Amino acid sequence: MDASAAATPLHLDFYGFLNRLRRPGAADLVGAVKSFLVSFSLYAPDAESDSRRVQDFLLTMERTIKQHPLWANAPDEEIDSAIEGLEKYVMTKLFDRTFGSSTEDAKLDVEISEKIRLLQHFVKPDHLDVPIDLQNEASWLFAVKELQKINAFKAPREKLLCIMNCCQVINNLLLNVSMTTNSAPAGADEFLPILIYVTIKANPPQLHSNLKYVQLFRRREKLVSEMEYYLTNLFSAEMFITNINGSSLSMKESEFQKSMQAARFANEVGDPYSVPELAKVDPPIMTRHGKEIHLGGSNKYPFMERDAEDLTREDVKMLLGLYKQLVTKYTRLSEALRRHSLDEDLLIHTARDLTRRVPSKSIVKDKGAFHSFIASGRALKCF
Amino acid sequence: MGCSSSLPAKNAGPLSSLGNESSTVTDSKNLRVKLVLLGDSGVGKSCIVLRFVRGQFDPSSKVTVGASFLSQTLALQDSTTVKFEIWDTAGQERYAALAPLYYRGAAVAVVVYDITSPESFSKAQYWVKELQKHGSPDIVMALVGNKADLHENRSVSAQDALEYAEKNGMFFIETSAKTADNINQLFEEIAKRLPRTPSSS
Repeated sequence: MDASAAATPLHLDFYGFLNRLRRPGAADLVGAVKSFLVSFSLYAPDAESDSRRVQDFLLTMERTIKQHPLWANAPDEEIDSAIEGLEKYVMTKLFDRTFGSSTEDAKLDVEISEKIRLLQHFVKPDHLDVPIDLQNEASWLFAVKELQKINAFKAPREKLLCIMNCCQVINNLLLNVSMTTNSAPAGADEFLPILIYVTIKANPPQLHSNLKYVQLFRRREKLVSEMEYYLTNLFSAEMFITNINGSSLSMKESEFQKSMQAARFANEVGDPYSVPELAKVDPPIMTRHGKEIHLGGSNKYPFMERDAEDLTREDVKMLLGLYKQLVTKYTRLSEALRRHSLDEDLLIHTARDLTRRVPSKSIVKDKGAFHSFIASGRALKCF
Repeated sequence: MGCSSSLPAKNAGPLSSLGNESSTVTDSKNLRVKLVLLGDSGVGKSCIVLRFVRGQFDPSSKVTVGASFLSQTLALQDSTTVKFEIWDTAGQERYAALAPLYYRGAAVAVVVYDITSPESFSKAQYWVKELQKHGSPDIVMALVGNKADLHENRSVSAQDALEYAEKNGMFFIETSAKTADNINQLFEEIAKRLPRTPSSS
């Protein structure tokens, strides 16, 4: 949803605000905004103190604008929209400095996102207590889409709107179901599990940084009641996901760990292009539990240092032979692993996946397939 | 179920609340309070608030009905108003650790149990202890025994609950969201107990 433009009268939207600032009478305001922005270069970036500075500035500007001749006799909503415009303008300018800029935040973002990528493999609505009547993947998709839009915007208000829209989609689903089934109305017992499930499905980019940014930089007087409640729900989903374990999904801890491990495996195998650099490493080095395993220079792996373009017809024959051996070994290894710990369907699926990804013909020309071949070797290392 | 009447949320678009906030200024005559609902899943937390929110007939009051966030303004006899912003929480055990995010800064906590379920009463006591440890020190707490209409299946005596509530400085009431019994009384009593000095929430 276009958060800024839809159905807003011209004098109330962001461009209306910018236009007003271009008038000669607004020179003092423009000056204040400019010197405010410049003042940031005097301080090292720090989320909390940056937030305090922005919040104070917006409050001061609100008082100034209320008394400003350009807004003389303006109704409250016009003043309000000017401050909203100012928030958007200032935060767009300060975005690089204030959004996800600390290394801890960036680290948390990656951790959460990677965890969600694993959870996506096995977390089902039942694990979270979503009642069967409400299990409606099609409707949830709309909520998922809203949440995924969050990085399309820089202004805190617009990011918050993505969250609100997501929650609103869930609310509408809950209301519709309680009307059509005439059952007890839904509350947080139903809402939160669905929101967590939607968050897992969406894996919104930079979840932690986005929530923190909205909380710190959305105008304080706007981050109240409903808005505050729904933002809190997203924080709560983040916390649930961060601390997730077997008991939070009503499964044995061992079963949970096994599912996470299988998901890790599937992600690694299923995504060979995520490690395309591997074939270029010279000499190729793989690490397992921190130990380096040198593969180059050995007669055992004659192709590790070769480029796809340089292969001859004979090489391809040999490569195909090696590939077949590898697949056979891999399949046996998978069998053995399966008997020990891992999920059967997943491995069969994975093995099938591998065969499909590395077609025996045209290995030479297809660099992607060559990478898959390398990756299938790499897949073994994760055990 | 007894409280199954449903209305779609009128103010569904988040944009519609833009600009309304200035009308909810907290002063000594018009309070805005954050109320958090705690209790096991299935005790009827959301039924209680829906009864309350829909039972108010003041056409001028702004009502927000979502699934888990509701707000309603209660006009009192002394011509003051209290706008309750009601934060529902998920009652399932797996979500218990998230509750502090919700009750932080709440002026009122309503802890609900089901009079036919002793487990839900133990859970209520757990929440009371949590709030005493981690909630705001001046939080107003109410203990609510819901489903009072099912008295033939009662397994938590009103006497026990009352004693527990008094010992913990709480207000106690039994309600039925189904028959609407005591629902308004609950919120009126809470309103009376709120500190009247303007708070800086």
